[in-house]
Amino acid sequence: MTPGPTTDTALLQARGVTKRFGKFVALHEVTLNVMPRTVHSVIGPNGAGKTTLFHTLTGTLQASAGSVIFDGHDVTGEPDHVRVQRGIARSFQVTSLFANLSVRENLRLAAQGVHRKGAFNCWHRPDGVRAHTEVVDHVLERMELQRLTDVAAGSLSHGQQRRLEVGMALAARPKAIFLDEPTSGMGVDDLEGMKRLIRGLREDHTVVLIEHNMNIVMDISDTITVMQQGRVLVEGRPDAIRNDARVRTAYLGNMITGGGA
Amino acid sequence: MPRLTTHLQLILALAVTLVLPLVMQSGSLATEVLIYALAVLGCNLLLGYTGLLSFGQGIFFGMGSYTVGILLTRSGLPLPVALVAAVVVGALAALLVGWFAIRQRGTYFVMLTLAFSQLFYFLAYSLPDLTGGDNGLLDVPRPAIGVGGHELLSLASPWQFYALVAASFFLVFWLLLRITNSVFGRTLLAIRDNEARAAAVGYNVRLFKLAVFALSGAVTALAGAFLAIMTGIAPLSSIEYHTSEMILVMTVIGGTGNLFASVLGAAFYVLFSDWLSSLWPRWLMLLGFLLIAVSLFMQKGLWGLGERIWLAVRRKGTPGHAPKSTENGS
Repeated sequence: MTPGPTTDTALLQARGVTKRFGKFVALHEVTLNVMPRTVHSVIGPNGAGKTTLFHTLTGTLQASAGSVIFDGHDVTGEPDHVRVQRGIARSFQVTSLFANLSVRENLRLAAQGVHRKGAFNCWHRPDGVRAHTEVVDHVLERMELQRLTDVAAGSLSHGQQRRLEVGMALAARPKAIFLDEPTSGMGVDDLEGMKRLIRGLREDHTVVLIEHNMNIVMDISDTITVMQQGRVLVEGRPDAIRNDARVRTAYLGNMITGGGA
Repeated sequence: MPRLTTHLQLILALAVTLVLPLVMQSGSLATEVLIYALAVLGCNLLLGYTGLLSFGQGIFFGMGSYTVGILLTRSGLPLPVALVAAVVVGALAALLVGWFAIRQRGTYFVMLTLAFSQLFYFLAYSLPDLTGGDNGLLDVPRPAIGVGGHELLSLASPWQFYALVAASFFLVFWLLLRITNSVFGRTLLAIRDNEARAAAVGYNVRLFKLAVFALSGAVTALAGAFLAIMTGIAPLSSIEYHTSEMILVMTVIGGTGNLFASVLGAAFYVLFSDWLSSLWPRWLMLLGFLLIAVSLFMQKGLWGLGERIWLAVRRKGTPGHAPKSTENGS
Protein backbone atom coordinates (compact mmCIF):
# COMPACT_ATOMS: atom_id res chain seq x y z
CA MET A 1 0.00 0.00 0.00
CA THR A 2 1.33 3.46 -0.84
CA PRO A 3 1.90 5.49 2.29
CA GLY A 4 -0.98 7.90 2.63
CA PRO A 5 -0.66 11.53 3.70
CA THR A 6 -0.80 12.32 7.40
CA THR A 7 -4.22 11.84 8.92
CA ASP A 8 -4.48 15.12 10.81
CA THR A 9 -4.89 17.10 7.61
CA ALA A 10 -7.67 14.86 6.34
CA LEU A 11 -11.14 16.42 5.99
CA LEU A 12 -12.83 13.12 6.63
CA GLN A 13 -11.54 10.19 8.62
CA ALA A 14 -13.21 6.85 9.05
CA ARG A 15 -11.55 4.94 11.88
CA GLY A 16 -12.22 1.24 12.09
CA VAL A 17 -15.80 1.62 10.86
CA THR A 18 -17.73 -1.63 11.19
CA LYS A 19 -21.32 -2.16 10.13
CA ARG A 20 -23.25 -5.29 11.02
CA PHE A 21 -26.71 -6.25 9.84
CA GLY A 22 -27.63 -8.96 12.32
CA LYS A 23 -24.86 -11.51 11.96
CA PHE A 24 -23.77 -10.27 8.56
CA VAL A 25 -20.73 -7.99 8.67
CA ALA A 26 -21.09 -5.56 5.77
CA LEU A 27 -18.11 -3.43 6.75
CA HIS A 28 -15.13 -4.73 8.64
CA GLU A 29 -12.98 -2.08 10.36
CA VAL A 30 -12.72 0.21 7.39
CA THR A 31 -10.24 3.04 7.77
CA LEU A 32 -10.25 5.85 5.26
CA ASN A 33 -8.68 9.30 5.08
CA VAL A 34 -10.08 11.77 2.59
CA MET A 35 -7.83 14.73 1.93
CA PRO A 36 -9.35 18.16 1.22
CA ARG A 37 -9.75 19.29 -2.40
CA THR A 38 -9.27 15.84 -3.83
CA VAL A 39 -11.44 13.34 -5.64
CA HIS A 40 -11.32 10.18 -3.56
CA SER A 41 -12.96 7.19 -5.20
CA VAL A 42 -14.13 3.99 -3.61
CA ILE A 43 -14.46 1.07 -5.97
CA GLY A 44 -15.19 -2.61 -5.70
CA PRO A 45 -17.63 -5.20 -6.99
CA ASN A 46 -21.25 -5.34 -5.88
CA GLY A 47 -21.41 -6.54 -2.31
CA ALA A 48 -18.00 -5.11 -1.46
CA GLY A 49 -19.68 -2.70 0.95
CA LYS A 50 -19.23 0.52 -1.02
CA THR A 51 -22.77 1.74 -0.60
CA THR A 52 -22.88 0.70 3.06
CA LEU A 53 -19.68 2.67 3.63
CA PHE A 54 -21.22 5.60 1.81
CA HIS A 55 -24.29 5.48 4.05
CA THR A 56 -22.29 5.28 7.27
CA LEU A 57 -20.18 8.26 6.16
CA THR A 58 -23.18 10.41 5.21
CA GLY A 59 -25.22 9.37 8.24
CA THR A 60 -28.04 7.47 6.58
CA LEU A 61 -26.82 4.42 8.52
CA GLN A 62 -25.16 4.43 11.92
CA ALA A 63 -21.87 2.56 12.24
CA SER A 64 -21.94 -0.46 14.59
CA ALA A 65 -18.39 0.31 15.73
CA GLY A 66 -15.60 2.73 14.93
CA SER A 67 -15.87 6.46 14.39
CA VAL A 68 -16.30 9.02 11.65
CA ILE A 69 -14.52 12.34 12.06
CA PHE A 70 -15.48 15.17 9.73
CA ASP A 71 -13.78 18.54 9.72
CA GLY A 72 -12.54 18.02 13.27
CA HIS A 73 -15.92 16.88 14.65
CA ASP A 74 -16.86 13.39 15.70
CA VAL A 75 -20.05 12.89 13.67
CA THR A 76 -20.41 9.15 14.31
CA GLY A 77 -23.68 9.47 16.23
CA GLU A 78 -25.23 12.17 14.09
CA PRO A 79 -28.07 11.41 11.65
CA ASP A 80 -27.83 12.55 8.03
CA HIS A 81 -29.75 15.81 8.41
CA VAL A 82 -27.35 16.96 11.13
CA ARG A 83 -24.27 16.04 9.10
CA VAL A 84 -25.60 18.24 6.30
CA GLN A 85 -25.20 21.22 8.66
CA ARG A 86 -21.53 20.22 9.08
CA GLY A 87 -20.92 20.47 5.34
CA ILE A 88 -21.66 17.00 4.03
CA ALA A 89 -23.91 16.66 0.98
CA ARG A 90 -24.75 13.58 -1.03
CA SER A 91 -26.30 12.36 -4.24
CA PHE A 92 -28.23 9.13 -4.65
CA GLN A 93 -27.35 6.13 -6.78
CA VAL A 94 -30.97 5.72 -7.83
CA THR A 95 -32.23 9.17 -8.75
CA SER A 96 -34.11 10.55 -5.78
CA LEU A 97 -35.62 13.96 -6.43
CA PHE A 98 -38.77 15.84 -5.46
CA ALA A 99 -40.43 14.58 -8.62
CA ASN A 100 -43.57 16.75 -8.46
CA LEU A 101 -41.66 19.94 -7.76
CA SER A 102 -39.89 22.14 -10.29
CA VAL A 103 -36.14 22.02 -10.89
CA ARG A 104 -35.73 25.41 -9.24
CA GLU A 105 -37.79 24.36 -6.22
CA ASN A 106 -35.70 21.18 -5.87
CA LEU A 107 -32.53 23.23 -5.71
CA ARG A 108 -34.05 25.87 -3.44
CA LEU A 109 -35.02 23.14 -0.98
CA ALA A 110 -31.50 21.75 -1.11
CA ALA A 111 -30.01 25.20 -0.50
CA GLN A 112 -32.48 25.86 2.35
CA GLY A 113 -31.76 22.55 4.06
CA VAL A 114 -28.43 23.81 5.37
CA HIS A 115 -30.14 26.63 7.26
CA ARG A 116 -32.11 24.61 9.76
CA LYS A 117 -33.80 27.45 11.63
CA GLY A 118 -35.05 29.25 8.55
CA ALA A 119 -36.76 26.08 7.40
CA PHE A 120 -39.31 26.41 10.22
CA ASN A 121 -40.40 29.84 9.05
CA CYS A 122 -44.18 29.40 9.01
CA TRP A 123 -44.98 32.91 7.98
CA HIS A 124 -43.02 33.98 4.93
CA ARG A 125 -42.96 32.66 1.43
CA PRO A 126 -39.63 31.44 0.09
CA ASP A 127 -38.95 34.66 -1.80
CA GLY A 128 -36.31 37.37 -1.50
CA VAL A 129 -33.30 36.07 0.42
CA ARG A 130 -35.27 32.95 1.26
CA ALA A 131 -35.32 32.01 -2.44
CA HIS A 132 -31.52 31.44 -2.36
CA THR A 133 -31.53 32.73 -5.92
CA GLU A 134 -27.78 33.21 -6.21
CA VAL A 135 -26.87 29.68 -5.18
CA VAL A 136 -29.66 28.13 -7.21
CA ASP A 137 -28.77 30.09 -10.36
CA HIS A 138 -25.13 29.15 -9.96
CA VAL A 139 -25.97 25.44 -9.73
CA LEU A 140 -28.44 25.68 -12.64
CA GLU A 141 -25.70 27.14 -14.80
CA ARG A 142 -23.09 24.66 -13.71
CA MET A 143 -25.44 21.72 -14.31
CA GLU A 144 -26.66 23.23 -17.60
CA LEU A 145 -30.25 23.15 -16.45
CA GLN A 146 -31.05 26.87 -16.91
CA ARG A 147 -33.69 26.25 -19.52
CA LEU A 148 -35.53 23.73 -17.39
CA THR A 149 -36.06 25.73 -14.18
CA ASP A 150 -39.85 25.43 -14.22
CA VAL A 151 -40.06 21.82 -15.36
CA ALA A 152 -41.09 19.24 -12.78
CA ALA A 153 -38.06 17.14 -11.83
CA GLY A 154 -40.00 13.98 -12.65
CA SER A 155 -40.39 15.09 -16.28
CA LEU A 156 -36.66 15.53 -16.97
CA SER A 157 -34.72 13.09 -19.12
CA HIS A 158 -32.54 10.56 -17.34
CA GLY A 159 -29.33 12.47 -18.06
CA GLN A 160 -30.88 15.71 -16.83
CA GLN A 161 -32.10 14.01 -13.68
CA ARG A 162 -28.61 12.68 -13.00
CA ARG A 163 -27.23 16.21 -13.32
CA LEU A 164 -29.91 17.61 -11.03
CA GLU A 165 -29.09 14.80 -8.61
CA VAL A 166 -25.52 16.09 -8.36
CA GLY A 167 -26.80 19.67 -8.36
CA MET A 168 -28.86 18.93 -5.24
CA ALA A 169 -25.66 18.14 -3.41
CA LEU A 170 -23.93 21.25 -4.79
CA ALA A 171 -26.75 23.57 -3.76
CA ALA A 172 -25.91 22.92 -0.11
CA ARG A 173 -22.48 24.47 -0.78
CA PRO A 174 -20.88 21.66 1.19
CA LYS A 175 -17.29 21.09 2.15
CA ALA A 176 -17.53 17.49 0.98
CA ILE A 177 -19.72 16.04 -1.74
CA PHE A 178 -20.51 12.36 -1.67
CA LEU A 179 -21.54 10.96 -5.03
CA ASP A 180 -23.02 7.48 -5.23
CA GLU A 181 -22.48 6.21 -8.79
CA PRO A 182 -23.38 9.53 -10.44
CA THR A 183 -23.06 8.04 -13.90
CA SER A 184 -25.32 5.05 -13.33
CA GLY A 185 -27.52 4.47 -16.34
CA MET A 186 -26.01 7.39 -18.24
CA GLY A 187 -25.51 7.28 -21.99
CA VAL A 188 -22.03 7.60 -23.49
CA ASP A 189 -22.81 11.14 -24.63
CA ASP A 190 -23.55 12.39 -21.12
CA LEU A 191 -20.65 10.51 -19.57
CA GLU A 192 -17.82 12.80 -20.63
CA GLY A 193 -19.70 15.84 -19.40
CA MET A 194 -20.25 14.25 -16.00
CA LYS A 195 -16.58 13.32 -15.73
CA ARG A 196 -15.52 16.87 -16.49
CA LEU A 197 -18.00 18.11 -13.96
CA ILE A 198 -16.77 15.86 -11.16
CA ARG A 199 -13.18 16.76 -11.89
CA GLY A 200 -14.14 20.43 -11.73
CA LEU A 201 -15.82 20.06 -8.35
CA ARG A 202 -12.39 19.57 -6.82
CA GLU A 203 -11.68 23.29 -7.11
CA ASP A 204 -14.19 24.17 -4.39
CA HIS A 205 -15.06 20.91 -2.72
CA THR A 206 -13.79 17.57 -1.58
CA VAL A 207 -15.35 14.72 -3.51
CA VAL A 208 -15.97 11.18 -2.34
CA LEU A 209 -17.03 9.11 -5.30
CA ILE A 210 -18.50 5.64 -5.19
CA GLU A 211 -18.15 4.11 -8.62
CA HIS A 212 -18.57 0.92 -10.46
CA ASN A 213 -17.26 2.17 -13.74
CA MET A 214 -13.46 1.74 -13.66
CA ASN A 215 -12.74 4.03 -16.59
CA ILE A 216 -14.30 7.02 -14.94
CA VAL A 217 -12.48 6.46 -11.67
CA MET A 218 -9.04 6.10 -13.27
CA ASP A 219 -9.29 9.38 -15.15
CA ILE A 220 -10.56 11.70 -12.50
CA SER A 221 -9.45 10.39 -9.10
CA ASP A 222 -6.58 11.56 -6.93
CA THR A 223 -6.87 8.57 -4.64
CA ILE A 224 -8.63 5.27 -5.09
CA THR A 225 -9.69 2.88 -2.37
CA VAL A 226 -10.47 -0.63 -3.53
CA MET A 227 -12.90 -2.59 -1.38
CA GLN A 228 -13.60 -6.28 -1.28
CA GLN A 229 -15.99 -8.14 0.99
CA GLY A 230 -16.39 -5.29 3.42
CA ARG A 231 -12.67 -4.59 3.81
CA VAL A 232 -10.23 -2.17 2.26
CA LEU A 233 -8.07 -4.18 -0.12
CA VAL A 234 -5.76 -1.46 -1.43
CA GLU A 235 -5.56 2.30 -1.44
CA GLY A 236 -3.42 4.48 -3.67
CA ARG A 237 -3.06 6.67 -6.73
CA PRO A 238 -4.83 5.54 -9.91
CA ASP A 239 -1.66 4.33 -11.66
CA ALA A 240 -0.61 2.37 -8.59
CA ILE A 241 -4.04 0.76 -8.39
CA ARG A 242 -3.98 -0.10 -12.06
CA ASN A 243 -0.66 -1.89 -11.65
CA ASP A 244 -1.29 -3.44 -8.25
CA ALA A 245 -0.93 -7.18 -8.51
CA ARG A 246 -3.43 -7.93 -5.76
CA VAL A 247 -6.09 -5.79 -7.34
CA ARG A 248 -5.46 -7.37 -10.73
CA THR A 249 -5.37 -10.94 -9.58
CA ALA A 250 -8.18 -10.51 -7.10
CA TYR A 251 -10.80 -9.23 -9.42
CA LEU A 252 -9.92 -6.14 -11.37
CA GLY A 253 -9.61 -8.11 -14.55
CA ASN A 254 -13.10 -9.40 -14.36
CA MET A 255 -14.43 -5.99 -13.38
CA ILE A 256 -13.00 -4.47 -16.51
CA THR A 257 -14.52 -7.14 -18.65
CA GLY A 258 -17.71 -6.59 -16.76
CA GLY A 259 -18.07 -10.15 -15.53
CA GLY A 260 -18.81 -11.33 -12.03
CA ALA A 261 -19.29 -7.85 -10.65
CA MET B 1 -48.36 27.58 -5.50
CA PRO B 2 -48.89 30.75 -7.51
CA ARG B 3 -50.13 33.84 -5.71
CA LEU B 4 -53.26 33.98 -7.87
CA THR B 5 -54.47 30.65 -6.58
CA THR B 6 -53.82 31.78 -3.01
CA HIS B 7 -55.93 34.89 -3.40
CA LEU B 8 -58.61 32.95 -5.21
CA GLN B 9 -58.81 30.46 -2.36
CA LEU B 10 -59.08 33.21 0.23
CA ILE B 11 -61.87 34.89 -1.74
CA LEU B 12 -63.69 31.57 -2.15
CA ALA B 13 -63.46 30.86 1.58
CA LEU B 14 -64.84 34.30 2.38
CA ALA B 15 -67.59 33.82 -0.19
CA VAL B 16 -68.65 30.55 1.41
CA THR B 17 -69.00 32.13 4.85
CA LEU B 18 -71.12 34.93 3.36
CA VAL B 19 -73.22 32.85 0.99
CA LEU B 20 -74.20 30.09 3.43
CA PRO B 21 -76.54 32.37 5.46
CA LEU B 22 -78.16 33.61 2.26
CA VAL B 23 -79.03 30.24 0.80
CA MET B 24 -79.64 28.12 3.88
CA GLN B 25 -82.54 28.14 6.25
CA SER B 26 -80.91 26.26 9.09
CA GLY B 27 -78.19 28.15 10.92
CA SER B 28 -77.09 24.95 12.64
CA LEU B 29 -76.55 23.15 9.36
CA ALA B 30 -74.56 26.07 7.97
CA THR B 31 -72.45 26.12 11.13
CA GLU B 32 -71.93 22.39 10.85
CA VAL B 33 -70.52 22.86 7.35
CA LEU B 34 -67.87 25.26 8.62
CA ILE B 35 -67.12 23.16 11.70
CA TYR B 36 -66.38 20.11 9.60
CA ALA B 37 -64.50 22.27 7.11
CA LEU B 38 -62.14 23.13 9.97
CA ALA B 39 -61.66 19.46 10.84
CA VAL B 40 -61.05 18.60 7.19
CA LEU B 41 -58.48 21.38 6.87
CA GLY B 42 -56.62 19.75 9.75
CA CYS B 43 -56.74 16.40 8.02
CA ASN B 44 -55.67 17.89 4.68
CA LEU B 45 -52.53 19.32 6.29
CA LEU B 46 -51.50 15.76 7.09
CA LEU B 47 -52.79 13.91 4.05
CA GLY B 48 -52.45 16.48 1.28
CA TYR B 49 -49.42 18.43 2.38
CA THR B 50 -47.33 15.85 4.21
CA GLY B 51 -48.61 12.54 2.84
CA LEU B 52 -49.71 11.18 6.22
CA LEU B 53 -52.93 9.13 6.32
CA SER B 54 -54.15 9.54 9.89
CA PHE B 55 -57.06 7.61 11.33
CA GLY B 56 -56.60 9.49 14.58
CA GLN B 57 -58.34 12.78 13.74
CA GLY B 58 -61.34 11.77 15.87
CA ILE B 59 -59.08 11.79 18.93
CA PHE B 60 -58.33 15.47 18.52
CA PHE B 61 -61.92 16.28 17.55
CA GLY B 62 -63.20 14.50 20.65
CA MET B 63 -60.57 16.06 22.91
CA GLY B 64 -61.72 19.49 21.73
CA SER B 65 -65.35 18.60 22.52
CA TYR B 66 -64.53 17.27 25.96
CA THR B 67 -62.24 20.16 26.86
CA VAL B 68 -64.86 22.85 26.27
CA GLY B 69 -67.54 20.55 27.69
CA ILE B 70 -65.70 20.12 30.97
CA LEU B 71 -64.56 23.73 31.23
CA LEU B 72 -67.93 25.30 30.41
CA THR B 73 -70.00 22.99 32.61
CA ARG B 74 -67.70 23.08 35.62
CA SER B 75 -65.54 26.17 35.66
CA GLY B 76 -67.57 29.03 34.27
CA LEU B 77 -64.57 30.23 32.30
CA PRO B 78 -65.36 32.58 29.41
CA LEU B 79 -65.99 30.88 26.09
CA PRO B 80 -62.90 32.22 24.27
CA VAL B 81 -60.68 30.87 27.03
CA ALA B 82 -62.34 27.45 26.77
CA LEU B 83 -61.79 27.49 23.00
CA VAL B 84 -58.10 28.33 23.39
CA ALA B 85 -57.78 25.57 25.98
CA ALA B 86 -59.35 23.11 23.53
CA VAL B 87 -56.85 24.14 20.85
CA VAL B 88 -53.93 23.64 23.24
CA VAL B 89 -55.22 20.26 24.44
CA GLY B 90 -55.73 19.19 20.82
CA ALA B 91 -52.17 20.16 19.93
CA LEU B 92 -50.78 18.32 22.96
CA ALA B 93 -52.80 15.17 22.20
CA ALA B 94 -51.52 15.32 18.62
CA LEU B 95 -47.94 15.71 19.84
CA LEU B 96 -48.38 12.59 21.97
CA VAL B 97 -49.94 10.51 19.20
CA GLY B 98 -47.55 11.93 16.62
CA TRP B 99 -44.51 11.24 18.79
CA PHE B 100 -45.19 7.53 18.50
CA ALA B 101 -46.90 7.28 15.12
CA ILE B 102 -44.28 9.11 13.02
CA ARG B 103 -41.66 6.59 14.06
CA GLN B 104 -43.20 4.33 11.45
CA ARG B 105 -44.16 4.87 7.84
CA GLY B 106 -46.86 3.57 5.54
CA THR B 107 -49.06 0.79 6.87
CA TYR B 108 -47.62 0.82 10.37
CA PHE B 109 -48.10 4.55 10.70
CA VAL B 110 -51.77 4.09 9.77
CA MET B 111 -52.11 1.18 12.20
CA LEU B 112 -50.62 3.25 15.03
CA THR B 113 -53.07 6.10 14.48
CA LEU B 114 -55.89 3.54 14.40
CA ALA B 115 -54.67 1.97 17.64
CA PHE B 116 -54.49 5.35 19.36
CA SER B 117 -57.96 6.13 18.09
CA GLN B 118 -59.33 3.01 19.83
CA LEU B 119 -57.27 3.68 22.91
CA PHE B 120 -58.60 7.21 23.38
CA TYR B 121 -62.16 6.03 22.74
CA PHE B 122 -62.02 3.47 25.52
CA LEU B 123 -60.22 5.93 27.75
CA ALA B 124 -63.12 8.36 27.34
CA TYR B 125 -65.60 5.51 27.83
CA SER B 126 -63.98 4.36 31.06
CA LEU B 127 -63.73 7.79 32.67
CA PRO B 128 -67.43 8.64 33.14
CA ASP B 129 -66.71 11.14 35.94
CA LEU B 130 -64.82 13.27 33.49
CA THR B 131 -66.50 12.55 30.16
CA GLY B 132 -69.95 11.33 31.08
CA GLY B 133 -69.04 7.93 29.61
CA ASP B 134 -71.69 6.52 27.33
CA ASN B 135 -74.03 9.48 27.77
CA GLY B 136 -71.44 12.11 27.00
CA LEU B 137 -71.28 15.51 28.69
CA LEU B 138 -74.75 17.03 28.67
CA ASP B 139 -75.96 20.60 28.97
CA VAL B 140 -72.84 22.33 27.71
CA PRO B 141 -73.80 26.02 27.99
CA ARG B 142 -73.29 28.62 25.30
CA PRO B 143 -72.40 31.79 27.21
CA ALA B 144 -72.30 35.12 25.43
CA ILE B 145 -68.95 36.61 24.54
CA GLY B 146 -68.18 39.75 26.44
CA VAL B 147 -65.49 41.88 28.01
CA GLY B 148 -65.72 42.86 31.66
CA GLY B 149 -69.44 42.22 31.98
CA HIS B 150 -70.32 43.96 28.69
CA GLU B 151 -71.92 41.59 26.26
CA LEU B 152 -70.33 41.83 22.83
CA LEU B 153 -71.94 38.94 21.05
CA SER B 154 -74.82 36.87 22.31
CA LEU B 155 -74.67 33.35 20.94
CA ALA B 156 -78.26 32.49 21.74
CA SER B 157 -79.52 32.13 18.17
CA PRO B 158 -78.02 29.70 15.65
CA TRP B 159 -77.02 32.51 13.30
CA GLN B 160 -75.26 34.41 16.06
CA PHE B 161 -73.23 31.32 16.79
CA TYR B 162 -72.66 30.94 13.07
CA ALA B 163 -71.08 34.40 13.04
CA LEU B 164 -68.54 33.33 15.66
CA VAL B 165 -67.71 30.08 13.86
CA ALA B 166 -67.52 31.81 10.47
CA ALA B 167 -65.10 34.43 11.78
CA SER B 168 -62.94 31.75 13.41
CA PHE B 169 -63.07 29.61 10.30
CA PHE B 170 -61.95 32.45 8.08
CA LEU B 171 -59.12 33.36 10.45
CA VAL B 172 -57.91 29.74 10.58
CA PHE B 173 -58.22 29.39 6.81
CA TRP B 174 -56.11 32.50 6.28
CA LEU B 175 -53.50 31.33 8.79
CA LEU B 176 -53.26 27.89 7.22
CA LEU B 177 -53.00 29.40 3.75
CA ARG B 178 -50.13 31.51 4.99
CA ILE B 179 -48.46 28.51 6.63
CA THR B 180 -48.83 26.18 3.65
CA ASN B 181 -47.28 28.82 1.38
CA SER B 182 -44.40 29.51 3.76
CA VAL B 183 -40.92 28.05 3.73
CA PHE B 184 -42.19 25.53 6.29
CA GLY B 185 -45.21 24.55 4.18
CA ARG B 186 -43.14 24.12 1.05
CA THR B 187 -40.80 21.86 2.98
CA LEU B 188 -43.79 19.72 3.92
CA LEU B 189 -44.53 19.25 0.22
CA ALA B 190 -40.95 18.14 -0.27
CA ILE B 191 -41.30 15.61 2.55
CA ARG B 192 -44.52 14.32 1.00
CA ASP B 193 -42.71 13.90 -2.30
CA ASN B 194 -39.53 12.22 -1.08
CA GLU B 195 -38.75 11.74 2.57
CA ALA B 196 -35.28 10.22 2.06
CA ARG B 197 -34.15 13.13 -0.07
CA ALA B 198 -35.64 15.66 2.35
CA ALA B 199 -33.52 14.17 5.14
CA ALA B 200 -30.47 14.01 2.87
CA VAL B 201 -30.62 17.73 2.09
CA GLY B 202 -30.74 18.55 5.79
CA TYR B 203 -34.35 18.57 7.00
CA ASN B 204 -35.28 16.93 10.28
CA VAL B 205 -38.23 15.06 8.83
CA ARG B 206 -39.58 13.85 12.19
CA LEU B 207 -39.61 17.33 13.64
CA PHE B 208 -41.53 18.64 10.64
CA LYS B 209 -44.05 15.81 10.89
CA LEU B 210 -44.46 16.41 14.60
CA ALA B 211 -45.04 20.13 14.03
CA VAL B 212 -47.67 19.52 11.38
CA PHE B 213 -49.32 16.92 13.60
CA ALA B 214 -49.63 19.45 16.41
CA LEU B 215 -51.05 22.02 14.01
CA SER B 216 -53.54 19.51 12.66
CA GLY B 217 -54.55 18.48 16.18
CA ALA B 218 -55.10 22.09 17.21
CA VAL B 219 -57.35 22.91 14.25
CA THR B 220 -59.30 19.65 14.59
CA ALA B 221 -59.85 20.21 18.31
CA LEU B 222 -61.23 23.68 17.58
CA ALA B 223 -63.78 22.04 15.28
CA GLY B 224 -64.73 19.52 17.98
CA ALA B 225 -65.07 22.32 20.51
CA PHE B 226 -67.43 24.30 18.27
CA LEU B 227 -69.60 21.25 17.64
CA ALA B 228 -69.95 20.57 21.37
CA ILE B 229 -70.94 24.20 22.01
CA MET B 230 -73.38 24.20 19.13
CA THR B 231 -75.16 20.98 20.06
CA GLY B 232 -74.80 21.55 23.80
CA ILE B 233 -73.36 18.10 24.24
CA ALA B 234 -69.91 16.50 24.08
CA PRO B 235 -70.91 12.97 23.06
CA LEU B 236 -68.79 9.84 23.19
CA SER B 237 -69.34 9.53 19.44
CA SER B 238 -67.18 12.59 18.77
CA ILE B 239 -64.05 10.71 19.85
CA GLU B 240 -65.18 7.53 18.12
CA TYR B 241 -63.34 5.94 15.23
CA HIS B 242 -66.30 6.83 13.02
CA THR B 243 -65.48 10.53 13.38
CA SER B 244 -61.93 9.92 12.15
CA GLU B 245 -63.30 8.01 9.21
CA MET B 246 -65.85 10.69 8.36
CA ILE B 247 -63.20 13.44 8.42
CA LEU B 248 -60.95 11.35 6.16
CA VAL B 249 -63.79 10.67 3.71
CA MET B 250 -64.62 14.37 3.51
CA THR B 251 -60.96 15.15 2.88
CA VAL B 252 -60.68 12.65 0.05
CA ILE B 253 -63.98 13.69 -1.55
CA GLY B 254 -62.95 17.34 -1.51
CA GLY B 255 -59.47 16.69 -2.83
CA THR B 256 -56.07 17.08 -1.23
CA GLY B 257 -54.44 19.47 -3.68
CA ASN B 258 -55.28 22.66 -1.84
CA LEU B 259 -57.03 24.05 1.21
CA PHE B 260 -60.28 25.18 -0.35
CA ALA B 261 -60.88 21.65 -1.57
CA SER B 262 -61.35 20.75 2.10
CA VAL B 263 -64.19 23.25 2.42
CA LEU B 264 -65.81 21.74 -0.65
CA GLY B 265 -65.47 18.23 0.78
CA ALA B 266 -66.99 19.17 4.12
CA ALA B 267 -69.83 21.18 2.57
CA PHE B 268 -70.65 18.41 0.16
CA TYR B 269 -70.66 15.68 2.81
CA VAL B 270 -72.65 17.60 5.39
CA LEU B 271 -75.27 18.94 2.99
CA PHE B 272 -75.53 15.78 0.92
CA SER B 273 -75.95 13.53 3.95
CA ASP B 274 -78.50 15.91 5.48
CA TRP B 275 -80.53 15.83 2.30
CA LEU B 276 -80.21 12.09 1.67
CA SER B 277 -80.89 11.02 5.25
CA SER B 278 -84.28 12.66 5.02
CA LEU B 279 -85.04 10.71 1.83
CA TRP B 280 -83.66 7.27 2.57
CA PRO B 281 -82.39 5.72 5.80
CA ARG B 282 -79.74 3.71 3.93
CA TRP B 283 -78.16 6.82 2.44
CA LEU B 284 -74.69 5.82 3.61
CA MET B 285 -74.68 3.23 0.83
CA LEU B 286 -74.84 6.00 -1.76
CA LEU B 287 -71.89 7.64 -0.06
CA GLY B 288 -70.05 4.36 -0.54
CA PHE B 289 -70.69 4.50 -4.27
CA LEU B 290 -69.54 8.09 -4.39
CA LEU B 291 -66.31 7.22 -2.60
CA ILE B 292 -65.68 4.40 -5.08
CA ALA B 293 -66.24 6.82 -7.95
CA VAL B 294 -63.84 9.36 -6.44
CA SER B 295 -61.18 6.74 -5.84
CA LEU B 296 -61.47 5.33 -9.35
CA PHE B 297 -62.11 8.32 -11.55
CA MET B 298 -61.45 11.60 -9.78
CA GLN B 299 -58.56 11.27 -7.41
CA LYS B 300 -58.20 15.01 -7.13
CA GLY B 301 -61.67 15.11 -5.63
CA LEU B 302 -64.36 17.71 -6.18
CA TRP B 303 -61.77 20.46 -6.56
CA GLY B 304 -60.05 18.48 -9.32
CA LEU B 305 -63.41 17.91 -11.01
CA GLY B 306 -64.13 21.63 -10.85
CA GLU B 307 -60.72 22.37 -12.32
CA ARG B 308 -61.35 19.97 -15.19
CA ILE B 309 -64.74 21.49 -15.96
CA TRP B 310 -63.28 25.00 -15.81
CA LEU B 311 -60.52 24.06 -18.26
CA ALA B 312 -63.01 22.41 -20.61
CA VAL B 313 -65.21 25.51 -20.59
CA ARG B 314 -62.24 27.77 -21.26
CA ARG B 315 -61.06 25.55 -24.08
CA LYS B 316 -64.45 25.85 -25.75
CA GLY B 317 -64.55 29.59 -25.18
CA THR B 318 -61.19 30.29 -26.80
CA PRO B 319 -60.65 27.81 -29.64
CA GLY B 320 -57.07 27.22 -30.70
CA HIS B 321 -55.68 28.18 -27.30
CA ALA B 322 -54.78 25.08 -25.42
CA PRO B 323 -54.82 25.92 -21.72
CA LYS B 324 -51.59 25.52 -19.82
CA SER B 325 -51.57 22.38 -17.80
CA THR B 326 -51.36 23.10 -14.10
CA GLU B 327 -49.32 20.24 -12.76
CA ASN B 328 -49.23 21.01 -9.10
CA GLY B 329 -48.75 17.37 -8.36
CA SER B 330 -51.16 16.07 -5.79
